[in-house]
Amino acid sequence: MEDIQEILEDFLVEAFELIEQIDQNLVELESNADDLDLLNSIFRVAHTIKGSSSFLGFEILTRLTHHMEDVLNKARKGELKLTGDVMDVVLESIDMMKALLHAIRDSGNDTSIGMDIADICTRLDAISNGEDIAVEKVASQEESMVQEEEHVAQNVPALMNSGPELDYSKMSDKEVEDEIERLLKIRKEEDKKRREAKKTEVIPTSASSSTEKSSTPAEEKESPQKTEAPSRPSVSASSTTAPAKKEATAPATAMEQTIRVEVKRLDHLMNLIGELVLGKNRLLKIYDDVEERYEGEKFLEELNQVVSSISLVTTDLQIAVMKTRMLPIAKVFNKFPRMVRDLSRELGKGIELEISGEETELDKSIVEEIGDPLVHIIRNSCDHGIEDGVTRKSRGKSESGLIELKAYNEGNHIVIEITDDGNGLDPDILRSKAIEKGMITEREADAMSDKEAFTLIFKPSLSTSKKVTNVSGRGVGMDVVKTNIEKLNGIIDVDSEFGRGTVIKLKIPLTLAIIQALLVGAQEEYYAIPLASVLETVRIPLDEIYTIEGKNVLRLRDEVLSLVRLSDIFGVKQVYDNSEHTYVVVIGLAESKLGVIVDTLVGQEEIVIKSMGDYLQGIEGIAGATIRGDGRVTLIVDVAALMDLAKGISVDIRAVSETAEKIKSSPSDYVVLAVDDSKMDRNIMRKSMEPIGVTVIEASNGQEALGILKSGEYNIDAILIDIEMPRMDGYTLAAEIRKYSKYKNLPLIAVTSRTSKSDRLRGVESGMSEYITKPYSPEYLESVVRKNIKLLSE
Amino acid sequence: MSDKLNKIIQKQKKQIEEPHKKEDDIVQLVGFIIGQEEYAVPILNIQEIIKPIEYTRVPSVPSYILGVFNLRGSVIPLIDLRRKFKMEPAKNTDDTRYIVMRGKDNIAGFVIDRLTEAIRINRSKIGPPPETIHSDKGMIYGIGMREDYILTILKVEALLKRDF
Repeated sequence: MEDIQEILEDFLVEAFELIEQIDQNLVELESNADDLDLLNSIFRVAHTIKGSSSFLGFEILTRLTHHMEDVLNKARKGELKLTGDVMDVVLESIDMMKALLHAIRDSGNDTSIGMDIADICTRLDAISNGEDIAVEKVASQEESMVQEEEHVAQNVPALMNSGPELDYSKMSDKEVEDEIERLLKIRKEEDKKRREAKKTEVIPTSASSSTEKSSTPAEEKESPQKTEAPSRPSVSASSTTAPAKKEATAPATAMEQTIRVEVKRLDHLMNLIGELVLGKNRLLKIYDDVEERYEGEKFLEELNQVVSSISLVTTDLQIAVMKTRMLPIAKVFNKFPRMVRDLSRELGKGIELEISGEETELDKSIVEEIGDPLVHIIRNSCDHGIEDGVTRKSRGKSESGLIELKAYNEGNHIVIEITDDGNGLDPDILRSKAIEKGMITEREADAMSDKEAFTLIFKPSLSTSKKVTNVSGRGVGMDVVKTNIEKLNGIIDVDSEFGRGTVIKLKIPLTLAIIQALLVGAQEEYYAIPLASVLETVRIPLDEIYTIEGKNVLRLRDEVLSLVRLSDIFGVKQVYDNSEHTYVVVIGLAESKLGVIVDTLVGQEEIVIKSMGDYLQGIEGIAGATIRGDGRVTLIVDVAALMDLAKGISVDIRAVSETAEKIKSSPSDYVVLAVDDSKMDRNIMRKSMEPIGVTVIEASNGQEALGILKSGEYNIDAILIDIEMPRMDGYTLAAEIRKYSKYKNLPLIAVTSRTSKSDRLRGVESGMSEYITKPYSPEYLESVVRKNIKLLSE
Repeated sequence: MSDKLNKIIQKQKKQIEEPHKKEDDIVQLVGFIIGQEEYAVPILNIQEIIKPIEYTRVPSVPSYILGVFNLRGSVIPLIDLRRKFKMEPAKNTDDTRYIVMRGKDNIAGFVIDRLTEAIRINRSKIGPPPETIHSDKGMIYGIGMREDYILTILKVEALLKRDF
């Protein structure tokens, strides 16, 4: 039982691979009808699927592929000309074959979807017969006998010809069904016998097919049939030519040695690499710290070598593993020739599709997501873009339209460009449509540049098409494009010239797991913004920010950009002061843009996206978390959600917040923090301040002091700071404290034995308000403190 | 054929597991203090207990979720049980610990005031949760009777369930 299951899985994997390539080949074939290689490979696909499905007992699939095979076989031998009409039927039958395969994958059998294939079989037969009669009957009969082996049913035409002249086209569906049923029965009997005899032989064949490339199984299955009917004279004729062809094509496929690996394993590998990248980041950070502290030491050189070689290898390894997950975009592109062909026939326009760069590679997960948006864009181009032949001629263009589909790499991105030489977009019509639907106001429309107007096509339910066809015009498609591209952190760029054509560019990051990010600080918190969404960063003076209808905007070159403060979106505690200048990170996603105000720009870093678990999944505005070089967790901004959140925020960025102070009545309400690494010195300070009656708290170094201050536990009125301290010295402490707006006027009193002028100057620079040199008299300290906290003795 | 084999294997598994169940009358718990009360959770649900480390605030979540922290490369949510139980938040002391609990498909760290001890308690000594407590929304697994006091045994799956 398990054997069968395994074979079934192999069969499905293989079959789906095969049908992917068959579409491409068929369309190519139509324009290049005598390409025997193409025909052969298509025939082989039908043949392989037929062979395997009959082995697995999928009768409907077998029957369908069998009829297809008939037609293809004739075409292959030049007995049948593949016209457009014939092609339509063949393509339709391939669609049905796909549907059956999907059914098998989903439910394990091909009967559950209840597909009726009688009609298509009849038509296929009609094609193969219609031409058939003209050709020598005997030849075809013998041919089909030769083809025998598991295609006993190929005897259908033969039997039919030798029996009473059955004309399939005149038979009712039911009769055809019965006839087929009867033939199948005969066939199955024979099959059964043969299978019993060959059981041992066939199993290894199908098993091996899973590990080899597509052409081999067909070959292997065909080879036994050569020995089957050695007495027939025509055997040598057909079987020698076919294998000869195969040998010619086989080396090309055999060159690429491949192993099928479960995606799960690759994912696991990718996770491990992610950990490694984090480790590397951490190592680099530690190296920086060490370098600062032990400048000029000899071991640094060695450490540097190790660190840089590890970081190099890690990067290479990461790229290598990423590559294992990469698939050529051809996997997606391949279905478009067929689609465009169908559309062109359906719409009655001549449309050509030119594909280039299909070898460009993308992460598997992205390849899976990119298909739908492209389908919609190309459908749109065919339906709305390309004009009909007459209009095109009157515009002085060639009669058939051209759609170019291009993919290429650009840095860490892949760009997919869809160009059509059709009608182009009319920005004025778009504007008026949008106003009509109430999406924008007239004022907004006037302020819109043409390029901004083009982005209106991504608004849901806006369609410029006058009529709804079954191809497009409902105004849904482009919305799908936008949503999917947003999901991938991609950017859409639309450019168009009315009457000349449209270019749509999709810019998509190569991979999703490890990304480049811009690290920014919002007050005391840090966030990572995917670099793929960052268009630029600018530093602007605050008075360049304007307020329009309660929204903050910035005029950046010729664009008006909405502004929002990151700390407002995420409710970050406001601790730093508003400075005169501020940084704006311009983010772009799909077609929209937003300016995000941040307090600091930390830099660019490679980050690994980690999930925050089920518990914290789907928090608005947060796409995940990453672990930075210093071991801290930094949250990753979800750019799409951020843009939505930004709409709900209206805070005047230029307004300064005021905090109410608590009123202090008795001296003990006042708190003085004494920072010194020596316990004795702290005691002296405490003693000196006793007469004032203030509360004194102590810290033994700068970091501890900063911690106490930030905890907000005490409302500190003054700080006495020693300069020489471990972990964080007095100057640094003062500078850190002064970063906070609410401590701007907090008295910081340096108490130190450093007396030189330069030390004093440094103290002033770092933000000290007073400078007391050791040794000092208790009274002096007392008076300085009193003066600074404005608590004078009565 | 393989089905039969599977059945046999499963049968054997059951036989191995069943005697355990009989001995399972003793429940092992870890006790801890939040506010004034002692609570306990099954020891098997505890992945580890660590001293407080730095965490990163996460925006737009209820206040009892303090944020996320880095546990050897995993990003784990941190929940303040004081606030979750509607008590006044307190400052970390030297006794404060994070208990990392693991449920079926979730994991989170919980801030507690102080650890007490590992407790072995007979299943028969565990009573059902008092029905009057509905404010806790079923976070209580049962009440453990000790010689001189009672113990609130918490349901880890309920603690780990997202309720916002």
